[in-house]
Amino acid sequence: MKNLGTLRADDHILHLAWDADGKRLAVTPSTGEILVVDTSAKVLQRLPGHGMGNGLSSWFHDELATCGFDGKIRWSTQEWKPGRGIIEGVKASPDGVHLAAGQGKALHIFDQSGPTAFSLTALPDVVGDLAWNPANPNEIATVGAGGARMWRLGEKEPYARFDWGGASLQVVWCNSGRWLATTDQTASVHVYDFTRDYPLHIQGFETKVQAMAFSADSKRLVTGGSAVATIWPCTGANGPEGAHPLQIEGHDLDVVAAAFSPVTGQLATGDESGTLLVITFETGQMRRKRARLEAGISAFAWHPERAILAVGQSNGDVLLLSLE
Amino acid sequence: MSRIPVTILTGFLGAGKTTLLNRILTEQHGLKIAVIENEFGEIGIDHELVINADEELFEMNNGCICCTVRGDLIRILGNLLKRKDKFDHILIETTGLADPGPVVQTFFVDEQLKEKLAVNGVVTLVDAKHILQHIDENGEAEEQIAFADVILLNKCDLATAEELDGLEKRIREVNALATIYRTTRAEIAIDKVMDVGGFNLDRAMEVNPHFLEGGHHHHHSHISSVGIESEGDCDGKKLNDWLSKLVQEKGADIFRMKGVFAVKNQPERVIFQGVHMLIDAASGGPWGNRPRKNSLVFIGRHLDREELNKGFRSCLA
Repeated sequence: MKNLGTLRADDHILHLAWDADGKRLAVTPSTGEILVVDTSAKVLQRLPGHGMGNGLSSWFHDELATCGFDGKIRWSTQEWKPGRGIIEGVKASPDGVHLAAGQGKALHIFDQSGPTAFSLTALPDVVGDLAWNPANPNEIATVGAGGARMWRLGEKEPYARFDWGGASLQVVWCNSGRWLATTDQTASVHVYDFTRDYPLHIQGFETKVQAMAFSADSKRLVTGGSAVATIWPCTGANGPEGAHPLQIEGHDLDVVAAAFSPVTGQLATGDESGTLLVITFETGQMRRKRARLEAGISAFAWHPERAILAVGQSNGDVLLLSLE
Repeated sequence: MSRIPVTILTGFLGAGKTTLLNRILTEQHGLKIAVIENEFGEIGIDHELVINADEELFEMNNGCICCTVRGDLIRILGNLLKRKDKFDHILIETTGLADPGPVVQTFFVDEQLKEKLAVNGVVTLVDAKHILQHIDENGEAEEQIAFADVILLNKCDLATAEELDGLEKRIREVNALATIYRTTRAEIAIDKVMDVGGFNLDRAMEVNPHFLEGGHHHHHSHISSVGIESEGDCDGKKLNDWLSKLVQEKGADIFRMKGVFAVKNQPERVIFQGVHMLIDAASGGPWGNRPRKNSLVFIGRHLDREELNKGFRSCLA
């Protein structure tokens, strides 16, 4: 692994995101300025933070949209404050047309001119997290108390819902649109197969699952909670059900970050002690590279076109590592 | 590493929570306090240290209301704990109509929060002019009193001394343990509400030395406090079995419980505390100069003092 550049942000790195062509990386710390850097970690832009805490940022129409505990969304020259509550993240739709944000019991949908009529307010539950369907830019999933709800833009009622009664904290939707997975407050993961309209509950984790990601080809799901990351096969008629998962060992503390490269298919997993594993999948086997960083790993972002991994750490450091 | 203290502020609509919050945020106390305010609070406080959040309740186990917790708090507090610049204290305000149970329960069920944060106290503001009406019309007002470690009987300028004495008596029927302060415009030394020290049995005895004695009082309410005190060592297994069975069967009616026990073959104090069905056991450190004895208190609905006494005595070694 070759270090292409490093930088230090104000605080614990909450989120990293490359823009569509991989020229700029957004670095969002828990508090303080949000930075935009190039592929050598040179700072190109400094954006103001959001008071008590920043939320997850997102690239939207070639500019960075930021949000946070101050209840504001800033994008380009605009600032929107749709309500008093905190905003924990903004996410652009896969076609780049819309930007979504949960704020309490509201799901706000923006376009370049501001809030749209697609926004939904007075929902029965708080929007804890959300994910667009990568295969259909008009569909979005929200999770919170009770489970997951799937919405189509322009409709006031969800077109599908998975009510399992507990609480889902995080949601990811695979690129093919077939699988939707949620991490739960209890030590479990729910996976929904849209082709079969079939819910699957994966239990037996040692701790709450804190990291989760699908591979770009939608064939693998990785989950990380304790010091073990697990890769679940999502191929075949039944996906993870009845299949043998692969367990990745070599971490020292809880795995809190995991991401697949869209280019090489490699998997990066990171734990609270600073142990970084990069797994390369080859026919019938896996190769593993291990590195020990100075501080706990908190976020990853793979470059969209090259084998470059951005690693965010709990002390505010960001490393750009080349695996080419 | 010491845990960051958390104070939970409850009180019915109009009781003066916002006034107290403003005082805490503006006074020179030298503490860095983060305030988590409900998004639908009566009056929004515009302050850099205030976080607005919509209460997100969920059940940890399907259908069990005793295991209902606040998901928004889990995420917000998790985020606050990551930041470099830590807080000295965290204050959580609930809505006027909220049952404080889920907030307290959140700190029992989430391992990460349990490790880094400690509930320092539940502070309930009571509107001296309207509390009786609120109790009669709404169960939540009474539950907020039942959960309290500290009660501010506020707006005292609107009631006579006799009325206030009557109110205190009524509050004591529900919660025999809380410290009650009479205030006007929530004027009180900040340490009285921020430095409560948790659900403290020793303080409870100071506040009300007679509540252990029970007796046949006329109660207006189904909510009451029961205290048990006994010499002699407990059998650890019997105690554990009894408490587990008790909270399984009666957990919905037990708002809070705490016990300091002398357990056979255990040189240190053993502390159990719980909210509804959730209980936690921990070492309470050496006995020191304190007499080695068992003290146990319940605050809840339809509590049967005789049955609780009988159950506890069956645990003695």
